[in-house]
Amino acid sequence: MDFNVQADTQEISVFRKEVREWLQENMRGAEGLRWSATWSTRENEEEYQFRRKLARKLGEKGWLFPMFPVEYGGAGLTIDHQLVLETELDHYGINLAAVFYTLARIVAPVILKWGAEEQKREFLPPMLRGEVSVWQVLTEPQGGSDIATCRTKAIRNGDHYVVNGQKIMVGYHHPPDFLWTLVCTDPSGPRHENLGWLYIPGNSAGITIQPMSLMMGIKNSVFFDNVRVPAFNLVGGENNGWRVANTHLELEHGGEGRVGADPLVERVVEYCQQMRVAGTPLMEDTSIRDIIADMLIELHVVHHFARRNFWHRYVREPHPYGGAQFRYYQRMVRLRNGERLQRIMGYDALVPDLTVNEVVDFEYVVRSGPGMLHGGGTLDTDRLVFARRVGLGRPTKEKAPTTI
Amino acid sequence: MDLRLTKTQNMFKRAAADFVKAEAPSHIIAEWFRNKKTFLPDLYCKAASLGWLGMVIPERYGGASASFTDCAVVFEELGRVPLPGPLFSSGVLSALLVLEGASQAQKESLLPGICTGKSIVIAAITDEGVRWGPESVETRLTRTTDGLVLDGTKRFVYDAEAATSFICAARMENGGIALVLVNRESPGISITPHVGFMASVAEVRFDRVQVPASNLLGEAGAGWQILDRALEKALPILCAYQVGACQEIFDFTAEYTRTRVVFGQPIGRFQRVQDHCVELSIHLDAARWLTYETLWKLDSGLPAAASVHEAKAVASEAYYQVCNFSHMVHAGPGTDYGHPLMAHSVMAHTLYQYLGTPLHHKRKMMDALYPRGKG
Repeated sequence: MDFNVQADTQEISVFRKEVREWLQENMRGAEGLRWSATWSTRENEEEYQFRRKLARKLGEKGWLFPMFPVEYGGAGLTIDHQLVLETELDHYGINLAAVFYTLARIVAPVILKWGAEEQKREFLPPMLRGEVSVWQVLTEPQGGSDIATCRTKAIRNGDHYVVNGQKIMVGYHHPPDFLWTLVCTDPSGPRHENLGWLYIPGNSAGITIQPMSLMMGIKNSVFFDNVRVPAFNLVGGENNGWRVANTHLELEHGGEGRVGADPLVERVVEYCQQMRVAGTPLMEDTSIRDIIADMLIELHVVHHFARRNFWHRYVREPHPYGGAQFRYYQRMVRLRNGERLQRIMGYDALVPDLTVNEVVDFEYVVRSGPGMLHGGGTLDTDRLVFARRVGLGRPTKEKAPTTI
Repeated sequence: MDLRLTKTQNMFKRAAADFVKAEAPSHIIAEWFRNKKTFLPDLYCKAASLGWLGMVIPERYGGASASFTDCAVVFEELGRVPLPGPLFSSGVLSALLVLEGASQAQKESLLPGICTGKSIVIAAITDEGVRWGPESVETRLTRTTDGLVLDGTKRFVYDAEAATSFICAARMENGGIALVLVNRESPGISITPHVGFMASVAEVRFDRVQVPASNLLGEAGAGWQILDRALEKALPILCAYQVGACQEIFDFTAEYTRTRVVFGQPIGRFQRVQDHCVELSIHLDAARWLTYETLWKLDSGLPAAASVHEAKAVASEAYYQVCNFSHMVHAGPGTDYGHPLMAHSVMAHTLYQYLGTPLHHKRKMMDALYPRGKG
C-alpha cells in the first residue's frame, strides 16, 4: 500500500512544478480573501468573482476536471495528475471540487455516464471549463429525503417538456446557469419507473427562485410554472431517472471522495496555545488535551474514509459501502466536534471570526453540526444505503455504481 | 496512492488464511478459550515452520527481512481466529526488543531461536501499579559481586506461561531502567495465571533471582528507550491482528443478520440492527486504515511515533467496540462460550489492556505531536 498522495514520478514532478507556478500566478489577489464554506452565511461579491474567475482559468486548461476526456473539456490526465491538482490547491485552503458555487462536480460525471453523445458534447464543455454554475435540484417540500416521490412533473409536449412543481433547500446565493432537476415524467407510472432528469437553463421563463435563510446558510426554493424545456435536455431517457439517480446519489452521498484534510485541529491547537487560564496555556491542561485527541483521531478517520473513497472511485472500483459510511460518520463527527469546541473554549466557540476561512471558524463548526446533518438526505438514508450494500438481512448485496 | 496489497502480500494472506482454516477451526478455538488453554506448542511450531516468527527480523539472524506490512497481512489473518499463542509477543515484540537493544553477540545468540520458535522470549513490563509508563517499573535489579539480582513481581504478563525466558524491565539502584534477560528455569521464578475475563495473562514473581551481568540487554539505564523503539515497530503488527479480528466479526455478524429470523423477518431488516452494523463497520475501518497507514510510514522510513500510538488506541478500542456491537446483534447466542464471538470478546478485553490502554496511547500521541511546555 502507498498512502502518499504526492508520490511523484519524474513526469509528475514536472507537472507539480507547473501547477505550483501556475497557482502562484493565478492565486494572486486572493491573499485578503477568507473562503466561505460550501453553504455559507458570509458570501460576498469579491470572493465570488475571484472563485468564478479561478474556475474559468483552471477550466481553460482542463484542470477543473483533469481526468475527464479532452473532447468534453477535461484534460485526459491520470489520477496522479488529479492528486497534484488537489494537493496543490489544498495549500490555498480550497479544494478542486469546490472552487466555486456549483455542483458541476457531481453533475458532470453523471452526464458523462448517462448522456447521449450529442448531449455530452453540448452540456459538458461549458461545465468542465468552469463557465457555468449548476445546481442539483432534487428535494421537494413534501418528500424530504424520499426523492423518488417526485411531484415536479415534466409532461412531454411536442419537442418540449413542460415542467410544473416546486423544489426546496437547493443551491447557493447566486442564481444558477443550469438546474439539474429530477422530474416525474409519468405521473401514473409505478414508483422508480416514472422519473427523468432535465438539464434546465436557469433563465427559462417560468422559474422563480426564492432564497431561504437557514441554520447553515443560504438555500433556495425553486418554483417551476409551465417551464418549457427542450426534449433534447432529458438525460438518461424517459422514465429511467431512478437509475441515473443511483449514480448521482452515489457521488453526492460520499462516494465522491476527497484528498484534503480538515484543518480544524490545527486551529484549535493554536487557540489553546494562546489562551491562558491563570497564566497557563489551555494546551497544558490534560482534560483539554484528551478532548483534542478525540477530535484529532476522528477527523483523521474521516480523512482516511474520504481518501479511500476517492481512490476507489478513480480506479473505477467503487467501494461497496464506503460512501454511505463516510457520510454518516463525517456528519456525526462534525456534530460531536461542535460540542467539543464548546467544552474547550466556552462562549468563544459561539463567536464568528471573519479573519479565518469559514470551515475553521469555530462558530460555523458548532452551527453546522446540527445544521448539516441532513443535506442531501438524512443520516438515516445513509444507513439504509449501507445496509443494502452490505446485504444486511438480504441474500444479495446492492452494487455501488461506477463513475469517473 | 495505492490501497492494494502487493502480489507477495496476497500470497502471505492466502497462506495464513489456509493455515488457520486447517489448524484452528472455530469449534477448536472455542474449546481453547473455554479451557483457558491458549498456548498450543504444536500449533506454535507449525506456525513457526511457515516463517511467521521474526518475519521483520533480518535474514542473517534467521528472520525473513519482510516489511512491516507483509508481516501485518499475516497477523491480520491470525487475528481473525483469534489465534492465541506467543506469535506476536515473542515473534514480533521480543524479537524487536533484541534487535533494537541487544549487543551483536546477543542478537546472534537469541534471534535465531526466537525465529525458529525454539526460544519463546516474553517481555515482562508492568508491576504492581499496572501502568504502561516508565514510572510504574518497580521490580529491582541490584548489582552484586557475582552479577545481578532481580527481585519483584510482574503482573499481567501476556503469554508468560509459554516463555522459555523473559525480558524483564527493572529499576536499577541509580533509578534508571534496564532490560534484563532471565531464563525461565532460574531458581526463584514462579508463574501464576491470572484468572478472569482475559486470556494468556499471568503473574511472574522474581524472588531474588540471580542473573549473569552479561544478560543485560543493551546499555543499562536505556531500557525504556529500547522498549519504546521496539514498541513503535511492534504495536502496528498487534493492531493488524485486531483489525483481522474486527473484520471477521463484521463478516459473521453481517451473515447472522441474513440468517437469523425473528418477528417474521431476518433481523438485518430491522433498522436498529442495521445501526449496530454501521457503527461496527466504522470502528473496523477506522482501525484498518490508521493501522495500514502507520505500517506504510514504518516501511517508508517516515516518522511514525504519533501514528503508532494513534493506531494502537483506535485498534484496541475498535476491537472492544466491535465485539460489543456484535453482542447487540447476536444477543443470547453470542454469550455462549461455544460461539466464536466469545473468544473474540475475551481477546478484545485482554488486548485493550495489553501494552497500553487507548487512553494511555491517546495521551502519548498528543505528547508526540504537541509536547508539553511549548505553550
